Amino acid sequence: MNGIRRILARFPLHLAVIVICLIWLTPTVGLLVSSFRHKDAVFATGWWTVFRIPMDFAQFRLDNYIQVLTAQGMGRAFLNSLTIAIPSTIIPITIAAFAGYAFAWMEFPGRQVLFVIVVGLLVVPLQMTLIPLLRLYNRVGLAGTFLGIWLAHTGYGLPFAVYLLRNFFGGLPKDLFEAAYLDGASPLTAFTRLALPLSVPSLASLGIFQFLWVWNDLLVALIYLGGTEKVAPLTLKLSAMVQSLGQDWHLLTAAAFVSMAVPMLVFFTLQRYFVRGILAGSVKG
Amino acid sequence: MARRMYWILLTATVVAGLLLSSCAPQTVTVTVPVEKQVTVERTVEVTVPVPTSRGVVTVLGVWGGSEFEAFAASVEPFTKETGIGMAFETSREQATVLVTRVQAGNPPDIAILPQPGLLVDLAKMGALVPLENIVDMDQLKKDYSQAWIDLGSYDGHLYGIWFKGALKSLVWYNPKAFQEKGYQVPTTWDEMIALSDRIVADGGTPWCIGLESGAASGWPGTDWIEDIMLRTAGPEVYDQWVNHEIPWTDSAVKRAWELFGQIARNEQYVWGGTTGVLSTNFGDSPRPLFDTPPGCYMHRQASFITGFFPEGVTAEDYDVFAFPSIDPQWGVPALGAGDVVVMLNDTPEARAFIQYLASPRPHEIWAARGGFISPHRGVDPNAYPDELTRKQAQILASAEVFRFDGSDLMPAAVGAGSFWTGVMDYVGGKDLDAVLQAIEKSAQDAYK
Repeated sequence: MNGIRRILARFPLHLAVIVICLIWLTPTVGLLVSSFRHKDAVFATGWWTVFRIPMDFAQFRLDNYIQVLTAQGMGRAFLNSLTIAIPSTIIPITIAAFAGYAFAWMEFPGRQVLFVIVVGLLVVPLQMTLIPLLRLYNRVGLAGTFLGIWLAHTGYGLPFAVYLLRNFFGGLPKDLFEAAYLDGASPLTAFTRLALPLSVPSLASLGIFQFLWVWNDLLVALIYLGGTEKVAPLTLKLSAMVQSLGQDWHLLTAAAFVSMAVPMLVFFTLQRYFVRGILAGSVKG
Repeated sequence: MARRMYWILLTATVVAGLLLSSCAPQTVTVTVPVEKQVTVERTVEVTVPVPTSRGVVTVLGVWGGSEFEAFAASVEPFTKETGIGMAFETSREQATVLVTRVQAGNPPDIAILPQPGLLVDLAKMGALVPLENIVDMDQLKKDYSQAWIDLGSYDGHLYGIWFKGALKSLVWYNPKAFQEKGYQVPTTWDEMIALSDRIVADGGTPWCIGLESGAASGWPGTDWIEDIMLRTAGPEVYDQWVNHEIPWTDSAVKRAWELFGQIARNEQYVWGGTTGVLSTNFGDSPRPLFDTPPGCYMHRQASFITGFFPEGVTAEDYDVFAFPSIDPQWGVPALGAGDVVVMLNDTPEARAFIQYLASPRPHEIWAARGGFISPHRGVDPNAYPDELTRKQAQILASAEVFRFDGSDLMPAAVGAGSFWTGVMDYVGGKDLDAVLQAIEKSAQDAYK
């Protein structure tokens, strides 16, 4: 009896969640359906028309995927994207973890001012930095190199990463660190042995954010790296499949899902970290 | 107090130093030992500077997909003969990317621009290399009509070689459908209107027009108005209009809009009514031509539209007639567009590349692959795959009165802004005087 009442009480909530999910997913479903349809069908009728005869599998084809995946230089583009995205995720998170810890737990004059400056950088549009930074890169020979784009993504990602991690570290119980210091831990030990292991969930979510941003980035790569075959990431390669007046845009439906595959993989591998209790069992009391 | 400031500054510097040194390898390996080492290895492997390395010419263009493949095929003999490779970058945001790179001092060697307006902007910035001493000018004057040479020049210098052209003054139709109903190809505007009325009386829809094109929605309408302007006011007034020497509210401009509206705003004339005109993508709009029974009978669009025709449509299914004359004294002028090759870095490789693109050979290679017409007069007409393309190429290369797409020559705020939105507003039912006044207002700012 009690159980049924609880289910009934929660019903409106569940209904709302389901409806929101459906609305949210509709465009993606449309894209997915379109990606399996033939070019002429895509142009002729809307994607929802497939549901009139959903069992007619002849209307679904793999043409778009085959064309996207077998395009020349696709493997290279995948590799380039990974070469860009992995260091561009690891470097800023590493730096931000150190910085965030220092801002949260180390006492030094000007701490607040420095932190405010870093957070203030969040509102600087990255487009403003393109020309001066590219000019600097040309001077020192970093334009068109992977190192250059790692540093650029690091810079663009740092303000948010520092902000997020400082707030997370700041939320850890003070007792924990006092206990560590009493036991003779140095700040570095407290950081590596205490703060880092506890912050795996926030590091993981930050990792996903940063990875997605770098993976989906087109502009930064286009400016600092250029779109030549040797260095072009997946986004550039895929956007180059469309012709100058937008012909062949139907290929982008399949391309979207191809480029989505890797971030999905990253998300599902890191997802279990979110589920884990953040501070489960760290302090008794 | 000052002493305190000094300490704050000192500690700030030290902290900054600590933050920097925290990315030294020793600390990094603590957090992510394995991945880190792998990526460091990669750095060494790939830091070869890609642009402007010897033996390569870097090219920035807007061509993607099969267009790029065709261009790459055109360049292949050049690479074979000279050993110079081409590193081609596709960017549909070309104007942004190019201007950023030029300002940062890192331009590509060659850029292929779809608008002469951008050529002028870059020439004004001093970013382009004059080509008079690089190509054989006497030969060039034989190969291109003066109109094309002028379009590639700025302030007395030649900066661009025209490569791919497009002819805009074309009306596409389905000859089988015309034959079936006994319709004749019109040769004057009045005949075209009479034909449209007849089609309506027969229960059909004469025109397919699609103005939707994402952020560029409205541009197909600007081509209509430009074509009409050339036929009602003549090339001189057209030039004055493009250069904003006459206002948008001028009666000549207004007349062109009204004639456009006579077709585009007539619910019975257009497939899907004005709503259909506003919301149909320009690339999808010619499709009803090939339906049975035909959804519409005529479609005014540039030569490139064949690339958008549905699969299975062959050369027998469509034909084309020139956008007819309106005022007999101005005849049938040609409106066109094209892609111009400019040079931004003066390297021996880039020079050789420009010289090669000025020769007929690459034009012929792409022509044979279809979907391409060249303004180059030296191109062998037999290179084109069919009679229709040959006819268009001939018109493009040798039209007595030729004018470039005016909206591409106007400042972007008008030609790629208020003119486009003006077309949408007008077809959507807004009063013509209000539309023209709004464009005039933006033009007064843009032409300063």
